[in-house]
Amino acid sequence: MSNVIEIADLTKRYAGNFALKNVDLVVPVGVTGLLGPNGSGKSTFIKAMLGLVKVDTGSGSVLGRPWPTQVKSIRDRIGYLPEDDCYILGLQGIESVQMMARLSGLPTTEALRRAHEVLDFCDVGQERYRNVETYSTGMRQKLKFAQALVHDPQLIILDEPTTGLDPTQREEFLDRIHALANRFEKSVLLSTHILHDVQQVCDQVIILVRGEVRLADSLANMQRPLQAGVQVRVVRDAMRFAESLRRRGLGVQCENDTELLVQGDAFLIRKTVWASSKAEHVLVERMDEARNSLEHSFMEIVSEKNYAHP
Amino acid sequence: MPILDLGYRNWNGDRSSESLRWTVVATTGISLVWRGTWLKRFMLFATFPALVTMFGVGLFEQAARDDSYRKMFNGFLASRIEPMGPRNRMRNRVAERPQIISETTDIATQRHLAWSHMLLWYFRYPQALWIVVVIGLVAPRLISYDLRSRGYLLYLSRPLSPTSYVFGKACILFFLLAMITTFPAIAVYMFGLLLSNDPSAFLQTWDIPFRILLATLVLVLPTSAIALAFSSLTQESRFAAFAWFAVWIVGWVTYLVLTGSAMFNAEDAIKLQQRWLMISPYHVLGQLQEEIFGVLPTDQHLTGPWILCAAVSIVGFGIARWRVARMLKV
Repeated sequence: MSNVIEIADLTKRYAGNFALKNVDLVVPVGVTGLLGPNGSGKSTFIKAMLGLVKVDTGSGSVLGRPWPTQVKSIRDRIGYLPEDDCYILGLQGIESVQMMARLSGLPTTEALRRAHEVLDFCDVGQERYRNVETYSTGMRQKLKFAQALVHDPQLIILDEPTTGLDPTQREEFLDRIHALANRFEKSVLLSTHILHDVQQVCDQVIILVRGEVRLADSLANMQRPLQAGVQVRVVRDAMRFAESLRRRGLGVQCENDTELLVQGDAFLIRKTVWASSKAEHVLVERMDEARNSLEHSFMEIVSEKNYAHP
Repeated sequence: MPILDLGYRNWNGDRSSESLRWTVVATTGISLVWRGTWLKRFMLFATFPALVTMFGVGLFEQAARDDSYRKMFNGFLASRIEPMGPRNRMRNRVAERPQIISETTDIATQRHLAWSHMLLWYFRYPQALWIVVVIGLVAPRLISYDLRSRGYLLYLSRPLSPTSYVFGKACILFFLLAMITTFPAIAVYMFGLLLSNDPSAFLQTWDIPFRILLATLVLVLPTSAIALAFSSLTQESRFAAFAWFAVWIVGWVTYLVLTGSAMFNAEDAIKLQQRWLMISPYHVLGQLQEEIFGVLPTDQHLTGPWILCAAVSIVGFGIARWRVARMLKV
């Protein structure tokens, strides 16, 4: 199975307004970022995949099963982390995860064993024996993640999973997503506003704007610049360094006092950059192959400027 | 392979059937509500009337063997049935109520009638009130809590439809109500069989367990439907509880006020009671139970109460299902 989701002509209207409009989408195996501004239809798309909202038109397959005719069977194979703060009042953390496992058909004892296992994986300690309504936002996110994983789904849909996490927890969370995708061959659909998260873990990016798919491509393609070059960061005197490079026949764009973009083949211009650095006594702090900024691409697509696709 | 790995592991086991997943909603709900201390106390107190019923059945069996107990049993039964309102007082006046044990009727008829009356009393009076209390304690939060904490999303993101979700929630009530009605009533019946010391007693009363089941259904279905509908209409369980008790109290009081004026004129009173019967859920259910246990005093037609009972059940569960399904669209 090369694609986890293949959907054609998906349309959903709320009171006459299009939430999703003729969406044709293919989500390949791997980690896919679902991006879009508020109200762009991300959550509706996810709920439609789970069969939680009825769509006006659309057909296809999810995890190789016909969609939307077999949504119950599809739900058994999907782990869903909702954006909303949702929990069952009165249940302990461990009971909540066990209940979700049982809802997915695991026997009671096995569900309890599995619940402990995934809570360990999600770094939930003795807090698992506390009632869920006493949990902090970060703990609830971890709990929801454990609930999404407990039945070992093939596809994990995460709707704003890092909301409310501190930077350390966020990094750990992204590491877990990375591990699930790479070591356990899970496919992940990550809906988020945080582009840094997408950059860190995603292989593919889908951008939805006003219910339409504006872009569906690999992250590598999105970040590939229109012109080859090298991004150079110096300690100071970027302007003087840029002048020196220009004198040596290179095209240079100075971005600020410490960063500049040198155009040309990365392999060929390296020597010239080092030579200039030595001659001008400017310390080069970092040198990377030039990449298109995801933020920049995203803003262009969302604001409907002519996004130049690489 | 590591000796110990607390990381993620794949799971490949057999899963239960999708059509049985509602049992998780029910069992989780039962284990949650059972943590309430007050509920446990009420459930304990709710079993006491079964002891009174057992005593009545035992007294009848004694009276069947020894005539000196006949008067005592008739008095005991009359004291259970008579003080329950103008309707029964009137029945005495017009001599509608049959003599339960008389020398002329055979023991098989007497036993069936006596047990039916005792079980009717059990369902009609103490347990009907306990049902109102237990449902009022449990049902208001069943769906409203999930709406408030958006827990329904967790349930419905698994292979569970809104219908099976509502059914699972209803099963919580079915179980609790069966604990205080069906199981004790069946225990009373079994107790009677054991005390009768007569193998033919089973043949004389074989239909009573079925009547108990039907009486339970008539009590449980419409009451659970109304309670779940109220619970689904609000995120505040106290509003649902208020609405629940208001329906019973307002219905009861209005019915008594409207029919009370004619209590001393039996013929007028019966007509008046039939006219205003539908106002009070308590009295509607009571009449249906009288019919189920075969002790309806007059040849009345209860088509209206049966239709009302069915309609309330369908509409109540329909509202609950519609509300849950509607929440997903937001």
